[in-house]
Formats: sequence, C-alpha cells, structure tokens
Amino acid sequence: MNDKITVGIADMKMAKGSGILITYALGSCIGLCFQDPALHLGALLHVMLPMNMEAGRKNAFKYADTGIRETVRQMTSQGALKSRITVKIAGGAKMFEVKGGGLGNIGQRNIESVHTILRQEGIRLLAENVGGTVARTLLFDVASGQGCIKSYGRQDILF
Amino acid sequence: MNIKSFDELNSLELDTLREIGSIGTGNAATALGQLLEQQVRITLPEVRIMGYNEAIDWIGGPEAVTAGVLVGMGGQMSGVMLSVQKLEFINLVLETMLGAPVKDYGELDELSKSTLIEVGNILISTFINALSGLSGISVNLTVPAFAVDMQGAILAVPMAMYGGTSDYLMTIGANFICDNQQVPCHLLLSPDVRSLNFLLAKLGVTE
Repeated sequence: MNDKITVGIADMKMAKGSGILITYALGSCIGLCFQDPALHLGALLHVMLPMNMEAGRKNAFKYADTGIRETVRQMTSQGALKSRITVKIAGGAKMFEVKGGGLGNIGQRNIESVHTILRQEGIRLLAENVGGTVARTLLFDVASGQGCIKSYGRQDILF
Repeated sequence: MNIKSFDELNSLELDTLREIGSIGTGNAATALGQLLEQQVRITLPEVRIMGYNEAIDWIGGPEAVTAGVLVGMGGQMSGVMLSVQKLEFINLVLETMLGAPVKDYGELDELSKSTLIEVGNILISTFINALSGLSGISVNLTVPAFAVDMQGAILAVPMAMYGGTSDYLMTIGANFICDNQQVPCHLLLSPDVRSLNFLLAKLGVTE
C-alpha cells in the first residue's frame, strides 16, 4: 500500500504517476480531486469558504475561487492541459441544525461557489457527493482517478 | 488598540481571557456538579490560539468521533460556543442521570441525545451567564444543536465562521475532574474578532 499524502484544511497537494491523497473530516468544507488523466497528475484541494474577500490574501487554498484557480495554475505549470482536467467533489455538509441563528449554511454556499467557479473556468465536473449532514474523509488515487468517501457509521462510497 | 487577528493578543489580554475561561468553566462545573450530585472540579483553564490543522491535532485528530453541542451567540457578542463531549463524559452523564451508559456513540437513543443536549446547553448557558455578568455584555443564545461525527468537521464549524477574517481559531476552555478522574469535556468559546475586541474593551484591558 502506498503511503498516503495528507492534505490539511485550506491546503492542496499534488502527486504525479501514482499516490493516494487524503483529506480528513470534510464538514462544510469541500474537497476537490483534480486529475489530468493523460499525465496521471492529480491534486486534492481542501477549501473552507466560498469566496476570497480577505484583504491580505495570504492563503489562496482557503477559498473556493482562488483555490481552484491556483490549483489549475500549478497543474498546468506541471504540463497539464486545462481542457483535459477533470474534477470530482465531496463535502458541503451541514453539521449542525441551528434554528434562529445567523450561522447560515456555509456548506451550501461552498457547493454553489465551487459549481460557479468550475463553470467559469471550463473544468469538467465528473462526479459529486455533496450536502447532507455527515462529515466525509476523502481519498483520491491519482493514477486511476478513483475517489473514495468514508463517513462515520456508513459504508464507503466509491466515486 | 483594536486587534485584527487572534495572534495579536498580548499577555495581559490573554490573562484576562484565561480569567474569563476560569470563571465561566468554574460556574459550569458547579452547575454540572448539581446535576450529577457530585463534586466537579476543573483543570487549569487554557486560552489557545491555533492554526486550523494545529487545532485539530490538539483535540485528538480529525477522524475521531465525538459528540458536540453547539450554541450560537448573538446580541452584543457574536460567535459560537461548543461543548465537545467524548464517550467518557457522555457515560458519566448517562450513568448518573439515566442509569444507562452506552458502549458506542451509535447506541445513543433519543432520550440520551436530548439529555446530552440539555447538559451541554446548561454548561454553555452557565458559562455565558458568568461572562455576561462579569463584563456587562448582553448575549443572546440560540437553541442548542447536536451532532455526532468526526471531530475535525465539528471543529471546522467555528473555523469556517471566521475563516474570512482570521487564519486562527481561538478557544477558551478547560476539562472537568469528577471523582478524581479527569473527564475530557472541552467547553470552547469562540467569539469573532470584533466581539473579542468589544469584550476586552468592556473589561478595560485595551487602551
């Protein structure tokens, strides 16, 4: 079994040829598995928020908009073709049902923002497993493009 | 001077927050002691300002399952407060109050869940009452929400709330000691930066 490469929160890791990328416990956050199948180049991005409105813009990977663009930029600089890049997404759950609070549904806003940015950038969304109320751990096999979602008390989902 | 981010707090401000944590958690421990009809003490309260991934390591890894009770704060102070309840704490409560401990989180039925929500709610409300009385800030609390899931995702809730303004998570909290046994129950207060400034100003520690 290959060693897994862990992707933290507001983080992105790339692997070429072979490798398993993993990110743990996606709640309202979204995990995006990018792949250029021709190069077996894959990237796993873990974004937390829909839009980058921060003045300093220190961490691009925290946000869906800047995170997706930065990941695609780094992949193309490794030789990937933007038109070949595909993506699978998971996450965007609502962990707590808070009544009457101003918490909003960050998960849902994240999903919508990811969809919008992918459409703007012309990146093909192959599969998604989003929403709901359970946390997901996401594994991504760079070589095959296979994704796997593990949740507490549920069967693993391959996608 | 107003701070812009949690990592800019000076030692006087940190001491003040630690004191808030101490009084808030102390009051919560008294309330818990009355509920359980035994003496409950607290460990030394801590104020921690952590990066996201550091915070998740601190609480015991992202995938470990835990129960969380979350209450949102509104009014003059906004933010969330979380009661992170691990199995040891859950069983202490269920054993004492219902006489029915569980082996796993999956065994929690409606009655035990609602008991845990209520205990979490009492702990949080007591903490906030103490904070409110001390600072003269009025805080409204939402109805408590409950989840059993990976703790990484539970902790991500307060992170996502302030992610737009801060790369850090601030938590104020302590553990409970019952019967000379340390029972992990993190009571975490996460105010937003603006409310934190307001709180520090009200307590007179910011010039």
